[in-house]
Amino acid sequence: MEFNWTQQQQEFRATVREFLEKNLPENWESIAHGPGSATQSEFSKQFCGQLAEAGLLVPHWPQAWGGRDADAWSAFILAEEMWAAGEPRGGQYMNVNWIGPTLMRFGSKEQQQRYIPPMAKGETIWCQGFSEPEAGSDLASLRTRAEKSGSDYIINGQKIWTSYAGDADTCFLLARTGSGKKAISIFLVPMETPGITVVEIPSLIGEGDIHEVFFENAKVPASAMLGEEGEAWDIVRKALSLERVGIPRFALASRILHRAVAQLKVQCRFHLGAIEQSARAHAACEAARLFSYEIIDQRQKGIIAGAEASVARVATVNAERAVAEFVVEHLPETLSGGDPLLLAHHQRGIVAGIASGAAEIQLNLIATQLIQLPREPR
Amino acid sequence: MDFAPNEDQIALNSALEKLASKFTSPPTDFRQFNLYSEELDQQLELGGFFDAAEIPELGPVSAAMMTEQLARLPYAVESALSMLIKPQLKGDWPRPYAVVDNGRPSRFAKQAKTLIIIEKEQVGIAAAPSEAVESVDSLFAYPMGKVSQKLEYTPLPKTEANKIRVWMRIALAAEAAGLLQAALNAATEHLSIRKQFGRPLGSFQAVQHRMAECTVLAKGVRLLALKAAWSEDAGDAALAALHAQESATRVVYDLHQFMGAMGMTLEFPLHLWTYRLKALLSELNGRGGQAQAVATHCFA
Repeated sequence: MEFNWTQQQQEFRATVREFLEKNLPENWESIAHGPGSATQSEFSKQFCGQLAEAGLLVPHWPQAWGGRDADAWSAFILAEEMWAAGEPRGGQYMNVNWIGPTLMRFGSKEQQQRYIPPMAKGETIWCQGFSEPEAGSDLASLRTRAEKSGSDYIINGQKIWTSYAGDADTCFLLARTGSGKKAISIFLVPMETPGITVVEIPSLIGEGDIHEVFFENAKVPASAMLGEEGEAWDIVRKALSLERVGIPRFALASRILHRAVAQLKVQCRFHLGAIEQSARAHAACEAARLFSYEIIDQRQKGIIAGAEASVARVATVNAERAVAEFVVEHLPETLSGGDPLLLAHHQRGIVAGIASGAAEIQLNLIATQLIQLPREPR
Repeated sequence: MDFAPNEDQIALNSALEKLASKFTSPPTDFRQFNLYSEELDQQLELGGFFDAAEIPELGPVSAAMMTEQLARLPYAVESALSMLIKPQLKGDWPRPYAVVDNGRPSRFAKQAKTLIIIEKEQVGIAAAPSEAVESVDSLFAYPMGKVSQKLEYTPLPKTEANKIRVWMRIALAAEAAGLLQAALNAATEHLSIRKQFGRPLGSFQAVQHRMAECTVLAKGVRLLALKAAWSEDAGDAALAALHAQESATRVVYDLHQFMGAMGMTLEFPLHLWTYRLKALLSELNGRGGQAQAVATHCFA
C-alpha cells in the first residue's frame, strides 16, 4: 500500500498548473460564475482549444482520437486541477470524462467521425437529456418518446434540469422507444433540430446552468441512435460508472476551505468554533480524496468499481457540504458579494448530492450491495 | 498510489488472521463488560507480530493494518501502542504500553510494563511498577487501571514528545477503524436476521441509509489512518484521529439504536466495540484537541 505520486505524475500536475497559471485571465475568478454561464461557455471554447493544442484536453483518450493513451491517474489529476481552478472547461468536462469515451465504445463509425473530433479539439458543448418532470431518480419511468417513422424517429416530450442546454450543440438524449419499463434508447440529437425549444430555469446554482428542453415532433434519422434500440440502460450504466467519481469536488472544496481559513486568520476571526468546524471539513475533504483515489487505482488496474464508487460519491457530498456550511457560518459575507470563487463554490456545492444520481440512491447501493442488507420489498 | 496491500502485507495479514481465528467469538454465556485475553497477547508476542513495523518491507502501514485487524476481535489486547509507538521510542521500553493522561484511568494500565505519561504539555515515559497501578471497574470494555502513587518519569524532549503525539493519534485512528467496522458487522448480522412488521429490519430504508452513512464514516477512518501511518505527517495524523472520534460519536449511537432493547444487554456483545470506541473519544483531548492539531499542522 502506497500513497505517493510518481515523478511522472508530479510533473504532469505541475504542467497542468503551469498551463492554468499562464492561460486563465486575471479576472478569471470573477467570471467563473459556473460551468453553464454564458461567459464561461464562451471562454471554454477558447480555453479548451488551447488545452487541446497543448495535449491537455483528452490525454487519456486513445491516440486514434487525439489522445495519447495516458492512464486513469493522468485523467484524474487533470480533472482535479481543472475543478479546483473553477472548471474553465465549462460543460466540456462531460465530453472529456464520459461522452467521448461512450461514443468510442458504442458509437457507429459515422457517429464517431462526426462527434469525436470536435470534442478532441474543444469546439463543442453537449448536454445530457436524462431527467424529466416525472423521472428524476426513477429514470426508468421517463416519458419522452421516439416513434419510428420510416427511416426517422419523431421525438416528443420534455427534459428538465438539463445543464448546459442553452449553449449545447448536441444532446445525449434518452427516449422511450417501446412499451416496457426498460425500452429506452439513446439518441444523439443536434440541438438545432427544428422542434426543440430550450428555456432557462432561474436557479440557485449559477447563471445559465439548468434548463427545460421541449421536443415537439423533433425529427432525427435512425442513424442518430447510439447502440441498439432498448440498449440505453446498459450503456448509461457503464457511462455513469465513470461519472460517479468524475468530478473531484473535494479538490475545489479543499482549496476553498484553505482560502476561507486564511481570510479568517487575517481578520482575527479564526476562533474556537471555526477551528473545530474547519478541521472536521478538512477531514471530510481528505476522506473523500482517498476514497476517490482508491477508485482511480482500481480503474487503473482494470477493476470496475461497484458500490465502492458510491462510497466515494457520498464522502464527496459530505465534504462539499461541510465546507459550504463552514463558509456560510464563518464567512457569511461570501453570499453577499464576497470572494467570487467562494461564492461560486457555495452555489455549485448544492449540486453535489443531486447530479449524477441522488446521494440517497448511492446510500441504497451501499446498503444493499456493499453491506448486503436485505433489499426493500417493491 | 496503490491501495492494494503488497505481498508481504497480505502474508502478514493472513498469518494474523490465522492466529486470531480462535478469538473471533466471545465465550458462550459471556455477560461481562470487559473481555481481555492474555493468551492472545502471548501468542502475538510469540509470533513476533509486535515487531513487524520494524521490518523495513512491512513498516508502520502494516502495523496500522494489524492494529485495525486486531481491534475487530471481541478480545481486547494492547497492540496499537506496541506496534506503532514502540518503534519510535529511544531505548528499550518493554511492552505492553499504556498512556496515562493527566492521572485519569487508562486502558491497559494494569497490564502495562511501560507507561507513557501525559502531564499538561509534557510527555514522559516510565517503567510501570504493578503495585503502583490499581484495576478500575469500568464500562469501557477495556481493562482499565489507575496509577495510585506519584511516579517518577523521564520527560521526553519536545520534538520526541511531538512525534509520540503524532503516533498516538495514528494508533487511536487505526484502532477506531477496526472497532467501527466490527461494530457495523455485528449490527449488520442482527439487522439481516431480526424481523419486525414481517420483514428484516435491515430492509427498511430508514435503517439502510443510516447504516450506509456509518459505513462511509468507518471506511474513511480506515483510509485516513493508513495514509497517516504511511506519511507519518502530523496533519494527517490529526485528521485521522479527528475523523475517528467524530465518526465514533455518530456510529455508536446509531448501532445501539438499531439493536433496540437487545443493544442494552450484555448478551449481545456490541458493547465490546462501541464502549471501547467511547473510551477513545476523550483521548488526546478529544475532538477539540485534534481540531487544534489540524489547525496547527494543516492551516499554518
